[in-house]
Amino acid sequence: MEVAKQGTSKAGNWRDYERVLLPKVKNLHKLEVYEENGGYQALKAVLTEEKWTPKAVTDEVKASGLRGRGGAGFNAGLKWSFMPPVDDKPRYLCCNGDESEPGTFKDRQLLEYNPHLVIEGILIACYAMSITTCYLYIRGEFADWITHIEHELEKAYAKGYVGKNIMGTGFSTDVVIHKGAGAYICGEETSLMNSLEGKRAYPRIKPPFPAQKGCWNYPTTINNVETLACAPLIINKGAEWYSAIGAPTHPGPVLYGISGHVNRPGVYEFPTGMLITDLINEVAGGMRGGKKLKAVIPGGSSTPPLRADMIDGVTMDADSLRTAGSMMGTGGMLVLDETVDMVTWLKRVSHFYHHESCGQCTPCREGTGWLEDIVGRIDRGEGNVRDLDLLADLCTQMEGRTVCALADAAAWPVRYTIERFRDEFVAKCKPTLTPAGSPLTVDA
Amino acid sequence: MATNNGAQFNRHPEPTFSSDQLVFTSDEKSAMQGYLEMYPEPEGAIMRGLWLAQEKFGFLPPEVIRLVADELGIPYARAYGVATFYTQYFKQKKGTYVLDVCTCFSCQVCGGYDILHYLEDKLGIKAGETSEDGLFTIQEAECLGACGSAPMLQITNGRYVHNLTESKVDSLVSDLKDGKMPAFESVTLPQDETEMGGNRRDDVESLEYYKTPPVAETFE
Repeated sequence: MEVAKQGTSKAGNWRDYERVLLPKVKNLHKLEVYEENGGYQALKAVLTEEKWTPKAVTDEVKASGLRGRGGAGFNAGLKWSFMPPVDDKPRYLCCNGDESEPGTFKDRQLLEYNPHLVIEGILIACYAMSITTCYLYIRGEFADWITHIEHELEKAYAKGYVGKNIMGTGFSTDVVIHKGAGAYICGEETSLMNSLEGKRAYPRIKPPFPAQKGCWNYPTTINNVETLACAPLIINKGAEWYSAIGAPTHPGPVLYGISGHVNRPGVYEFPTGMLITDLINEVAGGMRGGKKLKAVIPGGSSTPPLRADMIDGVTMDADSLRTAGSMMGTGGMLVLDETVDMVTWLKRVSHFYHHESCGQCTPCREGTGWLEDIVGRIDRGEGNVRDLDLLADLCTQMEGRTVCALADAAAWPVRYTIERFRDEFVAKCKPTLTPAGSPLTVDA
Repeated sequence: MATNNGAQFNRHPEPTFSSDQLVFTSDEKSAMQGYLEMYPEPEGAIMRGLWLAQEKFGFLPPEVIRLVADELGIPYARAYGVATFYTQYFKQKKGTYVLDVCTCFSCQVCGGYDILHYLEDKLGIKAGETSEDGLFTIQEAECLGACGSAPMLQITNGRYVHNLTESKVDSLVSDLKDGKMPAFESVTLPQDETEMGGNRRDDVESLEYYKTPPVAETFE
C-alpha cells in the first residue's frame, strides 16, 4: 500500500465540493421529494438490469474502496463477500444506528435528513447478499427520529420499495426497526446481535464471525448507517467515481461531526482526507472566542487525542491519522481550546467507559473503574506521580485481553492523554519522594 | 456498569401496582403480538415490550417485568436480565419529566455541567433525585449523540432540547410545569445554512408524531 504523503490535503478542490450524502435538496427526507431526485433508481437498476448480479454488486462496492464508517474502517464490499453461499436458511443484515460513541452525531443527522438513502442502501446490500430481513438498530435515545423513520418506512412499504415482491421483480426484503434502550456496548456488532435476540447485550467471542454465526446463529452482516448510505451512490455513479473522491486508500464522501470549541459546530459533508487544520479553521469557522487550540480528538472518545503541535499536515483518513498517532474512528471530531483541563476531561471520559462497560470481562469491568478512580484521584490533587505509571500498567493489562474492544477504547484515551499531556498530570500530582516499588516509599 | 445508575437496587420491593392495574388493554396486547411477529424468536420482542410497559406504567418494577414476560411467553429471568441491563429502562419510580442532562465529552467542555448545576439549583434537587411534587427528576446522562448542539438535555427518553442556555432552561421548566412539551427541534446543518438559507425541512413545526410522556402520575 502506498504510504500517503503527510502535509497536503487529499480532498482536492473541497471548497467547491457538491454534497451527495446530504445533497442540496429541500425536504429530501420525504419519499415524494426523494423520488423526484432520482431516489430508488439505484435499487431499480440493481433489481432489473441483467449486469447487476448479487456478486457484481458486491464486487462494485469492493472496488469502490468504501471503508466502514462506524469506526473500524473495514472494506465494506469485502465484508459482504464473507457471507457464505446461499442455502435455504435465513440470513440477516443489521444496520447499526446505535451511534453512542461520544463525539459522534452524524448518523442521527443522516437519518433525519436523508432516511431513504439509508433504506435504499439497506435494500441494495440485502440484494447483494440475498438477505430477506434487515434489522435497523437505532439507539433508544433517538425516539423522535425513530418515529420519523417509521413514518417514512411505512410510505416506502406502501409504494412497494420495501416488503414483498419489490417493484414487481420477485425480490422481497423486510426492514424492521429495532429500538435500543441506552447501552453504548450495543454499537459493538456481536453485542448488537445479542441485544436483538433479546438477551443482555454482552459481546460474543470472535470467531465465529457474524458472517458464519450471527443473529440467531445464522449468517449476518452488520454495517453502519453511513456505510450503507454510500451503496446507492456507488451503484448510480460507479466504483471509479467513488474511489476518486478524497484519500486514495480511504475514499469517499464522509460526514465530519465537529463539536467543541469551534465557531460553527455541526455535521459537515466533505471528501475524506481533509486537513484537520482546514476543518477547524475554515470549515468550522475557527476557534471560539479566538482562543488557542490545545487538542483534537479526531474520531470519537476512543481515539487518542492529538496535541495542537501534532496536527500540522495531518489529514482525516486512516493512514495519515495512524502515522500521526491516532485513528479515524467515526469522524466525530472534538476540538478543545487552551482553557480545558485535560485531567478533568480525562476523568469524565473514564467515567463514561466505567458506566458503559457491560461487566462481562474482568479486566474491563474492574479496569475501567480503577482508571476512573485513579484519574479522579489525580484530578482531586491526591494522586502521586507514580500513579501515572500505574495507569500505564493498568492500560497494558486491559488492552486486547477482553472479548470486545471496549477495554481498549477505555485504555487508549488514558494512555495517550497522559503520554501527550504529561506535564498537566504531573502538575496535579503530589511529588513522590522515592521511586515507586521501593520499600522506603513515603507519601509526601 | 450500564445497569442501575449506581443506585442501590432492591430485588424484591413491595409491589407498586395491584393486580387490577397489571393488565394490558386489547390494543396493547395486539401491539405485543405485532412485536412477536417482528422477530424469529419471541425473546427478540422483549425490548419493544418493555418500552410499551414503561410508557404505560412509567417505570418497570418486577411485577411489570413479569407481566411483560408472561404476555410474550418468555421466562421472567430473561426479561429481568434485559430490563436491568439498559439505562433507559427505569427500575425505580421517577418524576413525570426525567431531565437527562448530557455532561459527557463535548457537552462537558461546552457547559454541560453549568446547565446541570443551574437546573439543580433551580429545582432544589441533586442529580439522581426527584423533586417533591414528583414532577422532575434530574439525571446526569452519558453522550446522547447531539454533540454539535452541546449542551443539551433529553426529556423522559424522548424529546431533545439543544443548545441550552440558562434562559432556555427557565422557559423549558415553566413550560413543562404547564404540561407543555417543547416542539421537535431540527438542528440545521451549517452547510445548509450557507447553501440553502436555513433548515432543509419545512415540516418541523407540524411534527406531531411523538406521543405524550409516560403517565406515571395516573396511578397515584
